[in-house]
Amino acid sequence: MTKEQRLKKRHSAEKRFRFYGLASIFIALLFVVILVHNIFSKGSSAFMKTAINVDVFFDQELLGIPNNPSKEQISDADLYDVAIESILKVYPASGLDQENALIDLFTIDAEIEIKNALIKNPNLIGKTITLEITASDDIDQLHKGNYPRELPEDRRRISDYQLQIYDTLVEDNKIVKNFNTYYFQNGDSRDPELAGIGGALVGSFYSIIICLLLAFPVAVLASIYLEEFAPKNKITDFIEININNLAAVPSIVYGLLALQILLATIQLPRSTALVAGITLALMTLPRIIIPCRASLKAVPPSIREGALAVGASKFQSVFHHVVPLALPGTLSGTIIGLAQALGETAPLILIGMVAFVVDIPSTPIDPSSSLPVQVYLWSESAERGFVEKTSATIMMLLSFLIVMNFLAVYLRQKFEKRWN
Amino acid sequence: MSDIKIRSKNLNVYYGEKQALFDVNLDLNEKEVTALIGPSGCGKSTFIRCINRMNDVIDICKVTGNIEIDGIEINDKNLDVVSLRERVGMVFQKPNPFPKSIYDNISYGPKIHGKGESKDELDEIVESSLRKAALWEEVKDRLDEPGTGLSGGQQQRLCIARAISVNPEVILMDEPCSALDPIATAKIEELIDELKTAYTIVIVTHSMAQAVRVSQKTGFFHLGKLIEVGETEKIFKNPDNKMTQDYITGRFG
Amino acid sequence: MNFVLIFLILIFSLSLFFYGRSKTKSISIEQNIKLNALPKFYGYYLVLWCSIPALVFLLIWSLFEPTIIKSIIIEVAANQGAIFNDKNEANLIYEKIKAIHLGTYIGDIDSILRESALSYAKFINLFTNSKIVLIFGIVIASVIYSLNKIKNNNKARDDVEVILKGLLFVSSLIAILTTLGIIFSLLFESIKFFSVINIFDYLFGTNWSPQKAFVNDASLITEAEYAELKDAFGFIPLIAGTSFIAFIAMLVAVPVGLFSGIYMAEYASSKVRRVSKPIIEILAGIPTVVYGFFAALTVGPFFRQVGENLGLTVSSESALAAGLIMGIMIIPYISSLSDDVINSVPQSLRDGSYAIGATKSETIKKVVIPAALPGIIGSVLLAVSRAIGETMIVVMAAGLAANLTINPLDSTTTITTQIVMILVGDQEFDSPKTQSAFALGLTLFIATLILNYIAQRAVKKYREKYD
Repeated sequence: MTKEQRLKKRHSAEKRFRFYGLASIFIALLFVVILVHNIFSKGSSAFMKTAINVDVFFDQELLGIPNNPSKEQISDADLYDVAIESILKVYPASGLDQENALIDLFTIDAEIEIKNALIKNPNLIGKTITLEITASDDIDQLHKGNYPRELPEDRRRISDYQLQIYDTLVEDNKIVKNFNTYYFQNGDSRDPELAGIGGALVGSFYSIIICLLLAFPVAVLASIYLEEFAPKNKITDFIEININNLAAVPSIVYGLLALQILLATIQLPRSTALVAGITLALMTLPRIIIPCRASLKAVPPSIREGALAVGASKFQSVFHHVVPLALPGTLSGTIIGLAQALGETAPLILIGMVAFVVDIPSTPIDPSSSLPVQVYLWSESAERGFVEKTSATIMMLLSFLIVMNFLAVYLRQKFEKRWN
Repeated sequence: MSDIKIRSKNLNVYYGEKQALFDVNLDLNEKEVTALIGPSGCGKSTFIRCINRMNDVIDICKVTGNIEIDGIEINDKNLDVVSLRERVGMVFQKPNPFPKSIYDNISYGPKIHGKGESKDELDEIVESSLRKAALWEEVKDRLDEPGTGLSGGQQQRLCIARAISVNPEVILMDEPCSALDPIATAKIEELIDELKTAYTIVIVTHSMAQAVRVSQKTGFFHLGKLIEVGETEKIFKNPDNKMTQDYITGRFG
Repeated sequence: MNFVLIFLILIFSLSLFFYGRSKTKSISIEQNIKLNALPKFYGYYLVLWCSIPALVFLLIWSLFEPTIIKSIIIEVAANQGAIFNDKNEANLIYEKIKAIHLGTYIGDIDSILRESALSYAKFINLFTNSKIVLIFGIVIASVIYSLNKIKNNNKARDDVEVILKGLLFVSSLIAILTTLGIIFSLLFESIKFFSVINIFDYLFGTNWSPQKAFVNDASLITEAEYAELKDAFGFIPLIAGTSFIAFIAMLVAVPVGLFSGIYMAEYASSKVRRVSKPIIEILAGIPTVVYGFFAALTVGPFFRQVGENLGLTVSSESALAAGLIMGIMIIPYISSLSDDVINSVPQSLRDGSYAIGATKSETIKKVVIPAALPGIIGSVLLAVSRAIGETMIVVMAAGLAANLTINPLDSTTTITTQIVMILVGDQEFDSPKTQSAFALGLTLFIATLILNYIAQRAVKKYREKYD
């Protein structure tokens, strides 16, 4: 090979190498984009739900309640007949089969929605009003364009007759979309159109608060001890090794720990935010200790010496002078640790959060779920409607995480002093 | 009279906003040792790094002006830097052997440039480079040991051998002895004296005594400007410039 | 009840603070005594002594009370004539008794249950009353002790600081406690497991099908039953599946991660680096359940579709899909660490290589990477450790088939998937099936511990070279 040939070969090898590097970064970035796009395109439709305009006549005779009824009287009343009557008026269906087909186009809770309208405005007795009744999950998905209409009738859940009704209603502008309050208010449900993350939101909230209340003080105190007071002996080394190991233990092992000690030995109630919070706190502990120690280490000795020189005790120099300076880094590490805790799923599954929880938990010792576990549960469901709900929940989760990470970075940049 | 090997004309160097070299015009002769002296931070290292385009490695560094080697302009964008550095070698202030065996340290350069195809050829190059650097006798029995295991002085000679291994024409030395003890320094100075018969050497040094000992020509830099250049004897016995005189006599620096 | 107690203790301590501080101040003025510390420290001293012993006692009592009562009541029920064959039935009866006491039991209450429920009520009362009395006593004793100390003008600030230092030390012990807790939880159930299933049958068995193990009480297994049983808990297919998927993940993560790290450390301008580094870190911040969802819903079916078009049979839960997504999740672990490690290689080495006339890629390949190798290997090992411990991606996207396949288009299961599957169903706490989950957890814990240890040693050795 001549000199020129060799040189050329080397330079093209250089170009290729550089290209591989750039391509790798590009691949990683591309994946982030694909993932975000995929989730957002599937999930954004979940924030609206399909409803059908129905003229509801609150027939006083059918209801059997007096004028100006009390809230109790309305709650006790049976609005089933009113609901059915009003629904059947939407389309000329004849015969039991067709009528049932028509009724199936609406949510199971149609009766409850009508009742709630009456509770809100008791003056509607004897009057007719147009209500937007939520559609069934199948119609919801059909209207959002996610339903395979082209499949032969025996392979889908919506019959041809129901498709016919739907098309007519669309022509008559009777099908509308409104904001999906159920998604935010309701707990889990077997019916996708009624399912919501209300329970999971509260559950996550309680879990993270408990995690914070337990992990933060203990982690900070432990860091202060290790960094400022601990003598350099075998015990201290052992503690440090332990902390580093704990940070790298797979999260599922913490689930096993919680199962054995929190549930079996101490017998705390299963599937509660309390147990979840304690488990997450144990996991988050090393993740706060490590940045906290780094921040404490970064404070120059001159600060400590200055305080001691005016007669402060070691304790006072640490707590009054060093710790405040280490706070931005510590807080930012804590927020990042909490963000990781928010997304944890495996240990929460093991402590029983996979139970089907319909009611929104009111205290941390009620059974509850959490956002990531809800994602897991819904992803196991076969119904099409859950796909968009799952994606939307992921969107919520990612939004929380982005906010928290930004907050952490902002805190660190704004308040941390650089000791150069 | 030797031919001019390297010539710089109106050479200016900037680190970002700060200017480090101002209009340097300097000729360096072939197969001769030229010393560059001056107080810290006056631009001597910056100057020699221009000769092998090492300043390219620093992002914020900008070089304007001309440098010619054998009449060929090297500040040209199209110049193949890799080939240039094969012809112009460099030894650094702090010895920087690779964390590899002594053998691999020396064979690295020839291998990349395709200078030794077979094992025998490489063996030969390694041995001759180490001999020329006066290190062969000391390490010939332990070529497989890591280069970082040698003493400071030996490491620096290893680096010199490494620079020689690709058969350069010019060797640039940036304060090569400042990290070494006097005995090691003496050995290196002896080496430089031998090498000058085969290579053009430019040496930056803090020690005026060293400049006197090893060089034939000396250039005095101050605050980025070349103040005076001439025969070493003249510079040190009766320089033309007052500032040179002050520096020589220790008034500053 | 406990909250009330805690509240009372805290309120009492708080009032003691004000009392202590003002009393100290007034005494020092009246009797012209020089205090050994600021008045507030005497207050703090009282607070700490009043609250800490009582709270610690309350905590320990509450931790153990439920188990103790449970064993007592189960004894009582047995004495009443209740019959249960194993722990599960005993638990069931205990739950019934508790429910009767709370008034939430819907069912027939026979005499055994009724008597036991009455005993339960009695014992609960007894325990609660004893608890209150004891706490009361502890508080009084501590207060007397600390008041005495204050009367003798102790160096309150020093004493307070000693107590606080003790608290700090205890906080850092939590790390050890957690590790002990993990080891205890895993060992406890694993030992029970290994008393039934021979450890060698476990470690070297090639068949994993725990559904076979519907044995309730381990001590009653017959020879014949065991012969069947011992083939149900073979570990080999699980470690094979885990390793296989982790291997696929590494095939993706190592090249992409390493090259990204190299590019960011050596080639990228600071602008590009400032933008791309955080975005790649995002990959590490995305919860794994999101990856799992994406893999199960989009990637798995996509591969199956492509496979169909190419005439191959691809499972919708292929190891390829799970491994690919896991690899993407791991990229930032390798790229960030490599970036840091490469940056720490001293510039003098690069300069030496450039000065000889090497190109940038030659320098990186032949000088920088070899110098950074221990650190890079450390980062890869940490990534592997992360991969084998990963749960959600494989639970959602990999299958349940414990096979020994090396075909990436097949589905295979992992250690973590099995742990979840076993524990999510109905748990009978003393069956080998449930216990096997803990044995798996123990194995996983030991494996990751070893990997992490080696990784940390490698990184440490590297740091020592260049710091």
